[in-house]
Amino acid sequence: MKKVTVDPITRLEGHGKIEIFVDDDNKVQNVYFQIPELRGFERFCVGRPVEELARITPRICGVCPEAHHMAATKAIDAVFGVEVAPTGRMLRELLYNTFYVTDHTTHFYILAGPDFIMGPESDPAARNILGVIGKVGLETAGAMIKLRAEAAELISMIGGKQIHPVCGLPGGVSQAITAEQRDRMVEITAAQIEFAQFTLKLFDDVVLANTGYVDLIKSDAFTHATYNMGMVDEDDKVNFYDGKIRVTGPDGQELEKFDGKDYLAHIAEHVEPYSYLTYPYLKSVGWKGFVDGMDSGVYKASPLSRLNASDGMATPLAQAEYERFYETLGGKPVQATLATHWARLVELLYAAERAHELATDPEIINPDVRNIPTGIVGEGVGVVEAPRGTLYHHYKTDDKGMVTNVNLIVGTTNNNAAISMSLKKAAEGILTGGKEISEGSLNMIEMAFRAYDPCFGCATHTLPGDMPLEVTVKGEATREVIASVKRNM
Amino acid sequence: MTAGSTLVLGMGNPILSDDGVGLLVAGRLAEGPLPPGVEVRQSEVAGLRLLELVRGFTRVIIIDALKSPAEAGREPGQVVRYEAKDFRGGHRYGSAHSIGLDTALELGHRLGYDMPEEVIVFAIEAEDVETFGEELSPPVADAAGRVLALVREEIGA
Repeated sequence: MKKVTVDPITRLEGHGKIEIFVDDDNKVQNVYFQIPELRGFERFCVGRPVEELARITPRICGVCPEAHHMAATKAIDAVFGVEVAPTGRMLRELLYNTFYVTDHTTHFYILAGPDFIMGPESDPAARNILGVIGKVGLETAGAMIKLRAEAAELISMIGGKQIHPVCGLPGGVSQAITAEQRDRMVEITAAQIEFAQFTLKLFDDVVLANTGYVDLIKSDAFTHATYNMGMVDEDDKVNFYDGKIRVTGPDGQELEKFDGKDYLAHIAEHVEPYSYLTYPYLKSVGWKGFVDGMDSGVYKASPLSRLNASDGMATPLAQAEYERFYETLGGKPVQATLATHWARLVELLYAAERAHELATDPEIINPDVRNIPTGIVGEGVGVVEAPRGTLYHHYKTDDKGMVTNVNLIVGTTNNNAAISMSLKKAAEGILTGGKEISEGSLNMIEMAFRAYDPCFGCATHTLPGDMPLEVTVKGEATREVIASVKRNM
Repeated sequence: MTAGSTLVLGMGNPILSDDGVGLLVAGRLAEGPLPPGVEVRQSEVAGLRLLELVRGFTRVIIIDALKSPAEAGREPGQVVRYEAKDFRGGHRYGSAHSIGLDTALELGHRLGYDMPEEVIVFAIEAEDVETFGEELSPPVADAAGRVLALVREEIGA
């Protein structure tokens, strides 16, 4: 096969691109995806007081500022070597789970909805949120918007601001909540549980009741036998805010479980000349290329991988869904990329339940929300599960707490190799035989990509939440464009 | 909010060089004086959150940086005035996480929200929105003053 070298400088035109190279028989030879790169993040941070990183890193991108705020705050706790006040920790976790509710809900209705509720082959003009609300009804759309507004209200009560929280300080949070605020949070989180259950029911009715969709989910074109990564609590249940990082294999067995601060001993990054974005892999298994199986260090870090890497959910309703998920899809691990959408809804229910548990805990209004640091360690790692995968923030400072070094591994980057593989496999499965490449088949290839909910906003520190995407099919010999689909704002 | 109210919304990212220009102009405008019925806000996010911000206003004026494709032949600092109708597309989602302005407005209408009758966008062609920094490039810094004057004229300040 002819070698394809892609020069990122001339390739990039300010948006994400998936390029599929096919031979004369439309057989897929190679698939690349590219994204724009932002520059100078480390330089921007060096020399600033480390506490500022909890306010700077959320601005890398508008999609998951709360995840960066939490990872940064935890890294800063470690830099100062301070134990977090128990109520401060609870408030952080309550805010964080509420953010998950918003993020996962939005993903389902806006992103997965068009593919599953409208159908992958539906008219592109209708395959959008407006088409979705035409089908599910205005009442559901209104309920989703209300849920988002209430979640924003809760987040701003703890976070101080709706969009970029500022509450996280080394040792806890900046302020306690009142009993009145708590009462409101109990109400809001109770409504979130109901909405999560409603959404799971909708998924049942629309997706699982449709054998065509179930076959698509289970199809080989959308399946990858990789390792799975996720954060777990002391009982090996899924946790988004804190715990150990657990990795399980394609055989479902635990490969390793480690403290976030030791991530460099477990994760290495492979580099390809055509991509700004690195390809993290498991050190203990090694890089064997873009292949799956027990011998390849490629892993996933996503809602699906978190379920696979855990022994269950820590809340009762979500646990029941977790069990149903594996019963329906044939046991652990589930490696079907499109099942990520269902896994995301199981997590949505857990996040709502966990937020409600925290809001109803009497300790949540304890005014003692922060321990003041007394010394400095000068290095710290903060890890959370961001909606799109495990998020690592690693800071080093001088003895005055001024930043000297910053390293981030963000959610989407973890999945870089797996996404590339999924794209290629989906393209191979779909672009077989015949010269016609339909808009529907290109959309199916995009579906493989969208299941990861990829966000390159911070993966290479790119534009805030704005990722127009282009899928192009080119002849490998001629480089002529055979088909192309653009998603533009 | 009063009937006939106007929202001026500066959008962008304050740590991404020229992408901060919309926020800067809104900040300067907010220093006043402003005519009655005009509110100024800054927003670092778009999509559905935008829908929540613009509800209830009769008129919305958005100020944001723009990065046009090379074939558009625009120079950094060039100011382009759009109206909502110019964004009418196919409601395609460009990103996993946000929806376009037009889709957000249409969604609001369908939900029966009190949506603005008029949406105007002042877009400033950026030189660099890919480097972290708090400084604007010279042509964009220069354009900020011109856009401020245009917005003031628009709101009768």
